[in-house]
Amino acid sequence: MSHSPALQLHQMASIGRLLTGIVHEINTPIGSIFSNNEVTLRSLAMLAELLEDPKPGSLEKAQRIIKTCQNLAAVDQIACERIRSVIRGLKSFSRPDGSEFRRVDLNGQLRDTLKLTQAEFRRRILVETDFGELPAVECYPQMLNQVFLNLLVNAGQAICGEGRITVRTRLEAGEVHISIADTGCGMTPEQQAQAFTAGFSTKPLGEGTGLGLSISREIIEDTHGGSLDFESEPGVGSTFHIRIPVRQGAARCESERA
Amino acid sequence: MNQNGHEPSVMIVDDEEMVITSIKAFLQLETEYEVHGFTDPECAARFAGHHQIDVAVSDYLMPKMNGIQLLGRLKELQPEASRVLLTGHADKQSAIQAINQVALFQYLEKPWDNAQLLLVIQSGAERARLFRDLREKVDELDAAHSSLKEVQKRLLQAFL
Repeated sequence: MSHSPALQLHQMASIGRLLTGIVHEINTPIGSIFSNNEVTLRSLAMLAELLEDPKPGSLEKAQRIIKTCQNLAAVDQIACERIRSVIRGLKSFSRPDGSEFRRVDLNGQLRDTLKLTQAEFRRRILVETDFGELPAVECYPQMLNQVFLNLLVNAGQAICGEGRITVRTRLEAGEVHISIADTGCGMTPEQQAQAFTAGFSTKPLGEGTGLGLSISREIIEDTHGGSLDFESEPGVGSTFHIRIPVRQGAARCESERA
Repeated sequence: MNQNGHEPSVMIVDDEEMVITSIKAFLQLETEYEVHGFTDPECAARFAGHHQIDVAVSDYLMPKMNGIQLLGRLKELQPEASRVLLTGHADKQSAIQAINQVALFQYLEKPWDNAQLLLVIQSGAERARLFRDLREKVDELDAAHSSLKEVQKRLLQAFL
């Protein structure tokens, strides 16, 4: 399955939009690691001095310094883990094997994608996840990630100020049902009618490509034999529903029969 | 050390625990300062209502209250404290706003440089101490002035 240029373009655009948040998300742990490294080096020099010429009270001082270093090492570990999780989120969009058809844990894919949007959302939007137990799903994971990212970015943009996004997954009659609900501005009936039309965008010029939802629907319905629909109410919010069959073969047979 | 025998008191506010731990460890190694860390800006503001702060270092983007709002609150509570914004969001607009609205002492960017941070905190503490000394002296002068006036009034009453 090769990527269409439109899909790739849209993918780059959505990641670009998240870049400021991602930079911020990486800057903080790096700041900590830098500082901790300096303090650790200074601490080691002080320890060496204390050992060189032990005085009364040296032992207590040395123990205090060691305790500090242990705390900093623990912080470094958390900081590295934070950077790694952001990178893992990014990687799932650039991995060449991601365009391959395979069986994946969609909850894990959603978690990775949420890591990317988290930086942007963290201080403004509360993201709630309610993940049900899911079997491994046969799909093109990179393409699905693109749909998840697209819907999450849309949800975030629909919320001005503070709000909530709820991501829920369930297994329902051989299908995985993923819903992404936001407490954003919602869509008017006119906007709803055109939501899946390529080139239609409610966003200011330069912010939306107007391709997001039409590409997302293509990926879910044409490529995976699932469905993508939504309900929306102006001033209340929108909920998007993705339904994907667990086994692609079975779904294809069904749709052929239909 | 302060005139009244207290080490300068530094407040670090960042919703990232790791930033507080790192800066705290650094300051405790290099100085004798009292360091108070807060991940919640509202807790920091409450603390500043009851404890003397010499330097407040705050992150910009935080939930509930941003750094400029917090430093604005601190300015009302403790006008002598030096206010420092430490932000990962290199955003000129917020810098200008901070300098104008809360009379910022320094604007620093993440990732920060420890040597520079120390210099800023040291000079911030010195500045706060000078302001407090000045206020004490002004209060003393005021007190002396009003007791002189009192004496003058009594003298006038006695002789007229």
